[in-house]
Amino acid sequence: MVDYDVVVVGSGFGGPVAARKCAEAGLDTLLLERSEVPGEKVVSGLVIPFYGFTFGPDFIREGNPPLERPICKVVNRFVRDGEIYATDATLRVPKPLALGYAAYCKPFCTWLADKAVEAGAELRTSTTAVEPILEKGAVRGVITDKGEEIRCQVLIDAGGTQNRLALQAGLRRKYLPESLELYMIWDFEMAKEDVDETFGLSMEFFHAFPEEGIGAPLGYGSTLYIFTYRESIHPGLGQFLVTRGEIPNAAKLLPRYFENFQEKVTRWKRDIAPKVRLRAVTWDVCPIYAGLIPETRNMPVFGDGILVIGDAAGFEASAFGDGVPSAWFSAELAAEVAVEAVRKGDSSRSALHQYERRVKEHPYITWIITDWRRWDLRKILVSRSEADLRRMIRDHWGIGAFRYRYSGRPLAKAVREALRRDPRAPLKWMEMFSRYYRNWEENRFDPLSESGRYTRPLAGKTHLQPDI
Amino acid sequence: MEIRTSDRFPGVEWVGDPGEFIRVDESKCDGCANCVRVCLAECFEIREKKARVRTLAECMECAACWYVCDKEAILFSWPPGGTGFRTNWG
Ligand SMILES: Cc1cc2nc3c(=O)[nH]c(=O)nc-3n(C[C@H](O)[C@H](O)[C@H](O)COP(=O)(O)OP(=O)(O)OC[C@H]3O[C@@H](n4cnc5c(N)ncnc54)[C@H](O)[C@@H]3O)c2cc1C
Repeated sequence: MVDYDVVVVGSGFGGPVAARKCAEAGLDTLLLERSEVPGEKVVSGLVIPFYGFTFGPDFIREGNPPLERPICKVVNRFVRDGEIYATDATLRVPKPLALGYAAYCKPFCTWLADKAVEAGAELRTSTTAVEPILEKGAVRGVITDKGEEIRCQVLIDAGGTQNRLALQAGLRRKYLPESLELYMIWDFEMAKEDVDETFGLSMEFFHAFPEEGIGAPLGYGSTLYIFTYRESIHPGLGQFLVTRGEIPNAAKLLPRYFENFQEKVTRWKRDIAPKVRLRAVTWDVCPIYAGLIPETRNMPVFGDGILVIGDAAGFEASAFGDGVPSAWFSAELAAEVAVEAVRKGDSSRSALHQYERRVKEHPYITWIITDWRRWDLRKILVSRSEADLRRMIRDHWGIGAFRYRYSGRPLAKAVREALRRDPRAPLKWMEMFSRYYRNWEENRFDPLSESGRYTRPLAGKTHLQPDI
Repeated sequence: MEIRTSDRFPGVEWVGDPGEFIRVDESKCDGCANCVRVCLAECFEIREKKARVRTLAECMECAACWYVCDKEAILFSWPPGGTGFRTNWG
């Protein structure tokens, strides 16, 4: 006897996509989330790259999710003694096209969860899945923090980085610290006119050698970046939990890098600081290099009765840390396989094996988790060459990013596949880019369910509710 | 449910009683202080050559402590549903 065909654990970015697809196919689907409102425990960047939207779920492309700002340009600043001595802004697209879209997790994940509920999935928030129900090595459901046993045919673990259920099921091990980046993020309010004037539709990265003290050594973390939102900016930086063979004193280093940045870098002091007010400080870890380390890359993503998606499966982009697209891609693949399994009444390991095959065939997932570009920046610590740094940044975060050996290859493959399925796909992409741009200009998005609204005063400050 | 905030980390709230969702197994801890080094919320301290949980008051549930403990002395689980940290600005 099962209570549900499918239980999805985690209503972050991947979970609701899987739940919606299962529910649409007529499966009895339960989506469990430990936070009270979906997304309020998800800490992220967040600029979701365009390819997540163009090649991801139809309902996102066709819907009007709450977006903060289209990002059309990547501005790379090279910093020495607090001054910008060079800028590379070669990676850009004309609006209404966009390289990505900035978003806050809470409204976005709430929007996704709403879409799952609309399709017929049941959403249960404030509920932690404590452990899987295991029978002879097979996963048969979960036990909640209220002691309830919920049985299902297929469990989809969309619990994010810490992937406790897949661990408890004996499927995976915890990520190695060298694969994990600890990110710290500072959210600042800034008037929309000021963001428009200071940044426009761009995001900025600040690259420097370690002695500058404004970020982790090259390749051992994300250089300081500033993501831009509608009326706020979201600087962040990160460092791997193993840096040059040691566990770094991240608790001291991360805040210090940002202090140095604020004290030293003229761009911040002159153009930005006078116009901003600190609103929030958050952090989280992210399994960015999980796919670069063979032991973690090869951990199973499926087992008897269980499929693992998104960060829980290690599908995090190693170069830029963009994990949302792969969470969406893997959610759709897992849902397809779950639907087939439930229809056949077979959720054994061999039936669910399909999922791994489809993940491997996907144009983006494997490519993105095995991209050495950020890691390779470490070589510059040895060569100490500024020319190398600028060349690599141009190749990686500049116009070179679209070369075939980098993002060009998965892009070409994904476009070919999309065209084969639907020759009119490019028209749909253009329609989406235009509509998203218009939505942003008019600040009109799909209304969110009551729970996701920013009506409850949180830490003193409310936020304009995007509404139609 | 009780809601707490922190001056050091604005824009975040801690809701209700999350319980002892992070604990140290003293028999395994060798006092290496890796957990102290990576915890931005200063949840840990070393006393008598062992890591102890000082407070979880500002914990954002990132589990960095658990990842860097190669002695498996950190026990990490999730707080009960609806408790623990939350933010509008993640
Ligand atoms: C600082 C930072 C910056 C990032 N920047 C970007 C970026 O710019 N672009 C990009 O595309 N990606 C970015 N990422 C990555 C992106 O956030 C993740 O890849 C994405 O959130 C993964 O989606 P997911 O569904 O796998 O997990 P999550 O979105 O983390 O969702 C997991 C959900 O499961 C819930 N949950 C977990 N365990 C349980 C349980 N046992 N019971 C019930 N609920 C549970 C959690 O509360 C959460 O809501 C960034 C990540 C970080 C940390």
